[in-house]
Amino acid sequence: MAEQVAQIDSVIASDAGDATGKRPRRFTYFNLPFLAIVGILSFYGLAIVYSAVHGNEDYSFSRQAVGVVVGAVLMFVIFRVDYRHLSHYLWLFLGINVVLILLPHVPGIGVNTMGATSWVKIGPLPQLQPGEFAKVTVILLDAAVVARYGGRLNSPKDFLKSLGIMLVPFVCIMTQPDLGTGLVYIFIAGIALVVGGAKPKFILILVGVAAGGIVALFTLDPLLDSAMGHDVLLKEYQRARLLVFLDNSYDPTGDGYNLQQAQIAIGSGGLFGKGYMTATQSTLGYRPEAPTDFIFCVLAEELGFFGCMLLLGMYIALLLICFHIAFNAADLFGTVIVMCTAGMWLFQILENIGMTCGLMPITGIPLPFVSYGSSFMVVNFVLLGAVGSVWAHSVR
Amino acid sequence: MLFAVIASIATLLVLTVVVLVVVRFVRKRGASQIKPSHKVNAIETVGVSANAPSNNLTGSGPLQVDTEQRVHGSAAEALRGRFVAVGVFAAAVFGSLSAKLWSMQVMQQEEFARKAQENLFATVYTPAPRGQIFDFGDKVLVKNRSSFTVLADAETVDNRDAVTRLSALLGIPAPIVRQRILNASSGAQSRRIVATDASLRNVAFISEHPDAFPGVTCENRTSRTYPYGTLAAHVLGYTGTVSEEELKNVPEGRNVISGDIVGKNGAEEAFDAVLSGDHGTRTMLTDASGNILQVLSETDPIYGNDIYLTIKGAVQRVADETCANYIVGGVGTAASIVCLDARDGSVVAISNYPTYAPESFIGGISADTWQEFNTEESHYPLMNRAIAGTYPAASTFKAFTAMAGLERRVIDDKSESECTGMWTGFGEEFPQGCWVWPGGAHGKQDVVDAIANSCDVFFYDMGKGFYDRIGELGDTAMQDYVAEYGFGRQMGIDLYGEASGRVPTPEWKAEYFKDAPEEAAWLPGDYTNMVIGQGYVLATPLQIAAGYCGIATGKIYKPHILREVRNSLGQVVVKYEPEVLYEPEMDEKNIGLVRKGLREVMTVNNYDRFVYGVNYEVAGKTGTAEVFGKQDYSLFACYAPYDDPKYVVVCVCEEGPTTITSAIPMATEVLMAAMDYDSGELSKDFEPTRWTTQAADPDLLAKKLEEASNAQVTDAAVNVWDASSWT
Repeated sequence: MAEQVAQIDSVIASDAGDATGKRPRRFTYFNLPFLAIVGILSFYGLAIVYSAVHGNEDYSFSRQAVGVVVGAVLMFVIFRVDYRHLSHYLWLFLGINVVLILLPHVPGIGVNTMGATSWVKIGPLPQLQPGEFAKVTVILLDAAVVARYGGRLNSPKDFLKSLGIMLVPFVCIMTQPDLGTGLVYIFIAGIALVVGGAKPKFILILVGVAAGGIVALFTLDPLLDSAMGHDVLLKEYQRARLLVFLDNSYDPTGDGYNLQQAQIAIGSGGLFGKGYMTATQSTLGYRPEAPTDFIFCVLAEELGFFGCMLLLGMYIALLLICFHIAFNAADLFGTVIVMCTAGMWLFQILENIGMTCGLMPITGIPLPFVSYGSSFMVVNFVLLGAVGSVWAHSVR
Repeated sequence: MLFAVIASIATLLVLTVVVLVVVRFVRKRGASQIKPSHKVNAIETVGVSANAPSNNLTGSGPLQVDTEQRVHGSAAEALRGRFVAVGVFAAAVFGSLSAKLWSMQVMQQEEFARKAQENLFATVYTPAPRGQIFDFGDKVLVKNRSSFTVLADAETVDNRDAVTRLSALLGIPAPIVRQRILNASSGAQSRRIVATDASLRNVAFISEHPDAFPGVTCENRTSRTYPYGTLAAHVLGYTGTVSEEELKNVPEGRNVISGDIVGKNGAEEAFDAVLSGDHGTRTMLTDASGNILQVLSETDPIYGNDIYLTIKGAVQRVADETCANYIVGGVGTAASIVCLDARDGSVVAISNYPTYAPESFIGGISADTWQEFNTEESHYPLMNRAIAGTYPAASTFKAFTAMAGLERRVIDDKSESECTGMWTGFGEEFPQGCWVWPGGAHGKQDVVDAIANSCDVFFYDMGKGFYDRIGELGDTAMQDYVAEYGFGRQMGIDLYGEASGRVPTPEWKAEYFKDAPEEAAWLPGDYTNMVIGQGYVLATPLQIAAGYCGIATGKIYKPHILREVRNSLGQVVVKYEPEVLYEPEMDEKNIGLVRKGLREVMTVNNYDRFVYGVNYEVAGKTGTAEVFGKQDYSLFACYAPYDDPKYVVVCVCEEGPTTITSAIPMATEVLMAAMDYDSGELSKDFEPTRWTTQAADPDLLAKKLEEASNAQVTDAAVNVWDASSWT
């Protein structure tokens, strides 16, 4: 253990880079393809949000734009931060995570909406979702955990220990409960374990156990509910959403209606869409939560298949750049940070677009760089900053 | 389609590029890193790169390139497999999302676009007034009554003041007003009916105070009304709200929506497409909550066409009254009268008793009434016995079988039989009686006498003649001939629910009794039963009437009730053209014999007393049908004038005690009415009928029974019973 810690401590590779005689980059913090794709993606997202919130008094486009600007500034600041120092603060990250995620339970500042205590309201500040910000620290926590094993997470004891630490944020978020964000944490942990070098056997066993657990949950939940007389494990609406995914005609809460309307919006877009700002499905309110979780429908309806492919193409480009940065990172900690960030986006893309077109069950997961929500935007830019920092401090 | 092809190519290109980039990325790294990565593995300092490069840095010069590579590759070298795994997962995610989007946005685009359109617009319909129904004399039998309807928008329910005012003005309790406004059965966006038949005063008040009644409107809507009560109920039929079942089977070109009033029976049903107009429509742009954003178009309903029937209201009234009077008077349990114009097949009157009031179906029939209409005790008043009731034709059938015998030369004008009351033509062990037996006999009978006296023995002999000549004529010679008069198949009258009746053949019997082979054999007795209209012979009153048209004139026109259709402007759009259905093969001499027999029925038996004082001659034939488990049914078919036939009337009286107390007076009364209508002696103006459902009136009953017994007393010499033989 001490040996490994020593290795991590010695990760100061910029000197080594200098020593190889490699010329320093002209702009240390300026990765042109990376910034270009982030810029285009942000503008594309803003344009879609503008169309979606247009004429809707419940949402404010300027707030979203402010989120982008604040996020961009934060991103450039974080570029300069040497992420490598952060690998020491594993327990600190764990503490921050627990505090952040449990914050809404504090009386007086916690806000309960739709059966979930996910929001806090402190004084004059806008309402915030700490679980969203915790994604950053969850990524740092998971990366710090696996980085300690130097890519050889071979003993079952170490594996279980890492897994135990990584599951803490998930358990905390399920007290709110917020299954959507919880699934994101799980996915981040999964990517960290895969990229961090956990034995394939462990990962396969873990996936098997998880699958069995979900099946058991669905079987036991109704029994427990009837035994206890109230919802024990899953909330009624959560089970309903999952069941709607399995069977479109099952529709106790109207979620099937949402899904149908979302699909009508996407399908009716056709190849080239109905034209920017002319979506009928969203402007007439057939689909709820159009600017947030269902914003992809607005894009699909207005800009059609090509518009969707354009967005997917930008995501692919961003992810490829991230892979590249992760591959060339100075240390395993940086690699895992970038891969977890990329994996998180990938999962959110899959889940968000997948649910609107009926491939995935409906959960409240926003679409990166597109969905309305300034805190979500800021978090994504902070993560971009982290990716940039890894790049800036890798050796060329 | 072109777009689809282009788009598919574009998608394939995008996917190919993605795959190529991933593969190249992986391969490039792989190719350049094989050596260093092995090395790194060997020294077991994977992941944290600092130690390895620094070791090499101290080494010799040629290692520089490798070192730089290794420093480049840094942390992730040993974990390349993990990158590939994540990359493959990412490729799968984007691949499946693209494929799903492709299938939705390109392959199924039209379907989704249609659904999006449906979301966008909402159309509500205003019912169109149905066309009216007129009789032969252009008297309106079914018309529309205008009814002021107070309608309110759905939002009005939130306006407490408006609801209270409506309640006070219309005299309806406020909770009921609210409940009616909340009733969305005619569509979410449609205006809700608060009150029908509102008074003109109230309508005026609401119209003059729009500020006090926001969202409330008054409309003049229509409902059916029947000025002549139950007159011709079975011909006119009734209307009702369209059922789920009917909505599934809407005929081509007809637009029926939930909540519409459609014809359910009689002419209302048969001419539903003609009578119903086109809905008025109101197409609106709506949002998801159903709020009306904009009214896009509005059209007024189009009136349905009027239909003009061949029914002569005055004659129909006589028929209805006759049926009702006799049955209510205790003569039989149910009756049906059909009067046809033999010259073109027009139905002059169709009357049944028990009957019903079409009025009771307006606004939906109550469950109790419906139940009552479908019980054995009520004798099924909704049934149009004239076209749907099948009866043994009994002796009325003899006119047709006599023609069959003559035409097929089984008998001729010289054929005679000796009636002793009992017939044993198939041997002593199979005796068959004439209706006069026991206690009577007809003696020597030729074909004319046999028809006039309804002598069964003559017909048994003829039936045996057909049986004996099966080899020569075939076993369906008689059936084939009577089928030329329309027996055994539907006449095709323009009403629904017509029965086909039955003329038994060996083939039919084998099929009918296929589960009881011992019954299935075609026996000689089947001929002798069929020849007198008994056994398995069944016919509707309409078939018998149409058959007698054939006997009387030689031609059988398709029976019809439609005369013409006129649109709302009064222009004739359809005019019914009479259609000859059958022209039975008949020799002048043979038909002359049968007609003579039918005329003699009236004279020999002194049935002419029922048409005393008319200036034309009547021909006819009685029948007494044996029905299992019931008292005999009385039948009478007649036509007039004998020498130039115009009208045929058939009456069937279920469990009518005798023909002379039921079927004969009933039929002749209608026949005389039909003749009087032409001559002007019967006024074309007529009163509504008085009867609705069967309700015994003790006084009337007593009176009728007295009349019946008087008739018997004054005419004691005449045989009362005209029963055909037992079978």
